[in-house]
Amino acid sequence: MGTEPTGPTESAGPTRSAHTRWFRSVDWLTIALVLGGLLLVYYFTPLVSLFLSASPSDVIGRLADPSVQSAATTSLLSASITTVLATVFGLPLAYWLARAETRWKNAVLAVVVLPLVLPPTVGGVVLLTVFGPNTLLGGTAAAAGLPLTRSLAGVVLAQTFVASPFVVVTAKAAFESVDRTLEHASRSLGKSRWATARNVTLPLAGPGILAGVTLAFARAMGEFGATMMVAYYPRTMPVEIWVSFQSLGLDSAYPVAILLVVISVAALLVLNTVASNPWR
Amino acid sequence: MTLELSRLAKTYGEFTFGPVDLTVGDEVLAVLGPSGSGKTTLLSLVAGIAEPASGSILLDGRELVGRPLEDRRVGMVFQEGALFPHMTARENVEYAAVSDERVADLAATLELEGVLDRRPPTLSGGERQRVALARTLAADPDVLLLDEPLSSLDAPIRKRLRDELHDLFASLDIPVLYVTHDQRTATALGDRLAIVGDGTLEQVGSPSAVLDRPASRFVARFTGTENLFEGTVAERTGGDILVRVGDVRFQTAGSTVAESAVPGAAVTVCIHPSRVELEPLDASVDGGAEQANAVTGTVARWLNEGNEYRIDVEVSGGLTLVANVRPPTFERLGVDIGSEIRVLAPRESIHLIPDSGESR
Repeated sequence: MGTEPTGPTESAGPTRSAHTRWFRSVDWLTIALVLGGLLLVYYFTPLVSLFLSASPSDVIGRLADPSVQSAATTSLLSASITTVLATVFGLPLAYWLARAETRWKNAVLAVVVLPLVLPPTVGGVVLLTVFGPNTLLGGTAAAAGLPLTRSLAGVVLAQTFVASPFVVVTAKAAFESVDRTLEHASRSLGKSRWATARNVTLPLAGPGILAGVTLAFARAMGEFGATMMVAYYPRTMPVEIWVSFQSLGLDSAYPVAILLVVISVAALLVLNTVASNPWR
Repeated sequence: MTLELSRLAKTYGEFTFGPVDLTVGDEVLAVLGPSGSGKTTLLSLVAGIAEPASGSILLDGRELVGRPLEDRRVGMVFQEGALFPHMTARENVEYAAVSDERVADLAATLELEGVLDRRPPTLSGGERQRVALARTLAADPDVLLLDEPLSSLDAPIRKRLRDELHDLFASLDIPVLYVTHDQRTATALGDRLAIVGDGTLEQVGSPSAVLDRPASRFVARFTGTENLFEGTVAERTGGDILVRVGDVRFQTAGSTVAESAVPGAAVTVCIHPSRVELEPLDASVDGGAEQANAVTGTVARWLNEGNEYRIDVEVSGGLTLVANVRPPTFERLGVDIGSEIRVLAPRESIHLIPDSGESR
């Protein structure tokens, strides 16, 4: 700094400065846009292609098929039950994780996140070791007329395992975003913990909780791996796609796939409107 | 109502609060201290936001330690108001109100009628604190805690709200603990001051007692006594004491002097700059120089601090005395750097702190 370069550096000067000029003239934002744009095209093209692959009459015709209708009913019913279960059991855990001051918190959180990182088929295997027909629990339940595999209950068990962590993790972040001072203020006004949670914490965390619930529903609708293992029957929509693809070829899988895409887009709409999208 | 804290202590990592003993009656106790000194910890313990490691908090004989926040009847006004953002101002006040009349009364007293239907984010800082205060009082607490409620407000609004709080507090018959780091707010609002430093109560007393007779160097320095000198007691005759600081001698009046100030004892001499007087050399001294501790010095520098001028005068032996004078006095004196001036430290203005070896 301060003095002009002399001697050897001077001879290297022109090429280096030309290089530097080129380097500076590159608009990195443009490059980022091109690279990112390619990725966007990669996401979007197959979706458009899917909608072009099946004619509307094909889709409507397939939708009249009893097996598709039964799959849609099973999926909507099981995903709804799963969402309710995930919410009822997930919210208290999320609140505890957000507010408790204990060193066990991280360990508990790791357990919650485990189903998210575990391959879904492995999740299915794990569930079968507890709920399978030859286990104590599964056997007893089956004998009592409530089989936990190859049943709606089995579908719900598989979906809940895989989807409920979305409620816990997202709602935990939503609870954490509520200033604790507001809860202290409410309680110092004579309101109990429960009244405070109901009147202050829940309303303020509401959009974040709704986001978690929506994500869990979307994940449950799309669940395939664990469901395949635990309850091949009654077929959910993802399983129906697999069966159609295997037995009749790709063409017959399109209509159900389109139906699932529509449901996913609807979930995305909820996320970006009433809920607070955690990834926005 | 009487709030009695005894041997109250709490540790946060490296920071230790207490043990603190304190009794607050139906009065305003202004808790004054630098940030990080433990003022908010004190409030948290009383409110029940934090539990103490040891000690007790009695409210009219009822133990508060171990009780949840909601069972304490201790109201708290938080620094930024902590209003519920999803409720209007009215809903905030109504949230825990004992009656509708109380809401109406408070809205009238705190001049909130115009803003009741607005949501907190649209309120100004001053309005937000009024709503917060109304909300806290609506629940009819037995103790009122305030955690620097004015600190985030602009000076004119702060001043106005401070005056309103003064009148409002006078109408409350409950213990009020008002935490602040601002001395003006503390002396304006507090019936008594409690000075907190590094987790302990340094001094509790009336504003004038604390400001004029600080119990420690920390209190003296924190309340603005810049003239602090190491001295030795030279003579004690009756109540009067003669202290020597270098080769300057100060005569003090007995009433402000500690018992332990026997000849030879090391003391800290405190003279608040607002008590130091300056006179031109040619002015006649009435009553004798001894009475007023008059010494001649040289003006080393002066600063215009807005409401007053701060003048540093070097007297013999490298001792510098700081004097705060009001603008008319400053203009009359015609202070010039390097000019000679007479410094008077009246006997009553000199306060001695026995040297306990502390060097803060």
